[in-house]
Amino acid sequence: MISNLINRKIFTLLKVQYSNMLEYRVEIALWAISGIIPFFMLNIWTNNNLNESINISDVMLSRYFLCAFFVRQFSVVWVVFSFEEDSLMGKVSPYLIQPLNPFLRYFAQHLAEQITRFPFALIIAFFFFIFNTESIWIPNLGLLLLSIVSTFLSFLIQFLIQSIVACLCFWTEKASSIERLLFIPTLFLSGLLAPVVSFPAYVKSWIYLTPFPYLIDFPANLLSGNETNISGGLSMQILWIFILFPLFMKIWSEGTKKYTAMGS
Amino acid sequence: MNLRKYLKVYKKFLHTSLASELEYKTNILVDLITAILSLIGSIFLLSIFFQNNGYIGGWTFEQALIIQGIYTILNGITNTWFNPNLTEIVKHIREGTLDFVLIKPIDSQFFISLKKINPSGFLEIILGFFLLFFCIRINQINLNLSFLTQSLITISCSICILYSLWFFISTTTIWFVKTWNAIEVLRSFLYIGRFPLNSFSFSLRIFFSIFIPIAFITTIPSEVFLGLSQLWKILLEVIVTSVFLITSRKFWLFALKSYSSASS
Amino acid sequence: MVQNIIDVRNLSKSFDISSKEPGLKGTIKHFFRRQTKSLKVIKDISFEIKEGEIVGFLGANGAGKTTILKMLCGLIYPSEGSIVVAGYLPFRRKENFLKNITLIMGQKQQLIWDLPPIESFFLNASIYDLDKFEAKKRIKKLSEMLEIDEEVFIPVRKLSLGQRMKSELLAALIHEPNILFLDEPTLGLDINAQRNLRKFLQKYNKETNATICLTSHYMKDITSLCKRVICVHQGAISYDGKLDLLLKKLSPVKEILIVCRSEDDAIKLENFGFPVKNKIKNEITIKIENNYITSSLKTILNNFDIVDLYINEPPIDEIIGKVLNNKEYDI
Repeated sequence: MISNLINRKIFTLLKVQYSNMLEYRVEIALWAISGIIPFFMLNIWTNNNLNESINISDVMLSRYFLCAFFVRQFSVVWVVFSFEEDSLMGKVSPYLIQPLNPFLRYFAQHLAEQITRFPFALIIAFFFFIFNTESIWIPNLGLLLLSIVSTFLSFLIQFLIQSIVACLCFWTEKASSIERLLFIPTLFLSGLLAPVVSFPAYVKSWIYLTPFPYLIDFPANLLSGNETNISGGLSMQILWIFILFPLFMKIWSEGTKKYTAMGS
Repeated sequence: MNLRKYLKVYKKFLHTSLASELEYKTNILVDLITAILSLIGSIFLLSIFFQNNGYIGGWTFEQALIIQGIYTILNGITNTWFNPNLTEIVKHIREGTLDFVLIKPIDSQFFISLKKINPSGFLEIILGFFLLFFCIRINQINLNLSFLTQSLITISCSICILYSLWFFISTTTIWFVKTWNAIEVLRSFLYIGRFPLNSFSFSLRIFFSIFIPIAFITTIPSEVFLGLSQLWKILLEVIVTSVFLITSRKFWLFALKSYSSASS
Repeated sequence: MVQNIIDVRNLSKSFDISSKEPGLKGTIKHFFRRQTKSLKVIKDISFEIKEGEIVGFLGANGAGKTTILKMLCGLIYPSEGSIVVAGYLPFRRKENFLKNITLIMGQKQQLIWDLPPIESFFLNASIYDLDKFEAKKRIKKLSEMLEIDEEVFIPVRKLSLGQRMKSELLAALIHEPNILFLDEPTLGLDINAQRNLRKFLQKYNKETNATICLTSHYMKDITSLCKRVICVHQGAISYDGKLDLLLKKLSPVKEILIVCRSEDDAIKLENFGFPVKNKIKNEITIKIENNYITSSLKTILNNFDIVDLYINEPPIDEIIGKVLNNKEYDI
């Protein structure tokens, strides 16, 4: 019964946010374009035959970067920026008196944006295949489903991390600078610019303990059919969610307590 | 007399925006760490490319570091001046406070492109210079007068081109209020600037010389450092820069005209 | 002789409005063939304002008040007609013209949010070419007039709306402009803050003989500041003249509430021939034209046993409301 209620709420939220997002389609298209950095990286890799040393063929590497592009497209999170703006504009108080965690609202916003973004990402992929006809492939259904799941888990991890950072808005006015700081390791260590396989050994020894390779490298490898430890990756993703979710709930309740105590 | 007034006003701009930023001290600290991590990440990525190859696009690792240094300086300048002012322009137009700027007896382009400053970008500029000096050492570059003037001219030209690009996009805000995503596209294209242009495929090189003048922004200045550049290239860069500056100025005046004959 | 400081002749302004069909198809169609239609928002208006006058612009939302104000300070380019302000064409935005005017918008602010107002004052002073000594002198003088002191050292984000507005005024007046354009300056202020602002404007006008043009939705602003009003209705001027005259013309009738000794008296009075608005027991309200008030009251007092009597001025908001909705009021 309760889950039914939540479902109905989320569904309505999604519908509202989707029509809202449709209004921003030009922005979303531009945003999709701004995510093409993986293709530039691919160009460097293949043009200089860098991939020979890491034993990945041109075709597999181009599939990897295409998948990295896709995973990134569907795991972009900007909760911090939304929440910061909302709290600066004084929208948080009205959200707090509603019987709905405001982060559920942002969650719906992100999902709706991903749906709007989907066709643009497909168009970009289409152009990619025109230039790289040899890398066309049809992923097997099981792997496709698994990679969708792991992309969603990657989105969830990033959403939780950013929500935790966003909650810091209750203590400092500008939490977005912390997010920009966190973005740097995400950018360089997640596999968006170079597959984690190519990292030097001294990095590989500890990187799999951090959440970063599970954000892009793991789902992209899964989707592109590159070699990867499926059960290990998925369980690490789930483990991180289990670590982050209680942390978020804790900091959220602390934050709202502080917020209501201040009475602003 | 006029120049003195502008200098005086600029001193006030510096004073007020530094004072504003210092209201958020932790923010600055976080931004400084971000700048350092970002440079480390970029060098890390470069080292991955070079770990099994001696050359990329004909450049050695030590030479590619020069480009990285110039890119870091330019990125620091972007973060110090262009980025905060663009945010300000968007705000001016969204909130309708551009009117206050226009009725002041001062050049509006001067006002809106220099009003704000973000001190945390300074560190990036300094880091970039350190990296460059380090590169001068390891590449055994002779510091003579002609090298210094050439590098000074080309780097100032890159700054001007970069400014024009940013200002051009900022100006479009007058018609399309939301230009953030266009900026993101520009940013992701400029990202290429941190690698030697020769390391990309021919078609991409053409694209980046015509649409986004990356060649003029980082490649020509770094060629000066290696003693590869010819006089005609530097002259061409000066011409391109003046075209960019004049166009961005003309475009701003045009935008103002349409601003004052539309909107209410 | 008092000079015309603002001279507007046959001024018109049209905006191009582009219309777009909804949906993706409409967007594409819109992209290739823009359908624009010209909308005339200011229609052939003329007026002049003398130095030292305080003029109120009245009109409903969207009547064109703000557009007129913006054209006067050179922010909007006129489509037709001529504007001369202090001897300049405003839209050229010459430096000496800009040093002569100021614009204050109630709902927009120019102070630097994170800093004390004093920083913004000095920034503006340097933009208007004032040296430090002069700037300090003016800040001191204006802050005395505005009755603010330590507020100027507190970051703007921590000030109340009233304090912020005062600081806005100071920032906008530091170059001692001759002409002030105020767009809804009292918006959102509480009653005391509104009154202080009006008092300040009156004093400023008296001391510097500055010309003030203002728009406001608070009638109190207009009635206590402006002798002259210009009513704008759908882009045209429907009335331009003294406020008193407008009020007299618009409310030729006064309402008088009469409390009679007994209900019988009230019934008699009801049938006496005056237009009656309503009657409750022994209290009766009648309407009498302004010209006949004294003679009618004499008649009533002589013929009836009256306990008490109130003369009600019709509320000014109601009268102005009529102006805003109607077209022509020539006097």
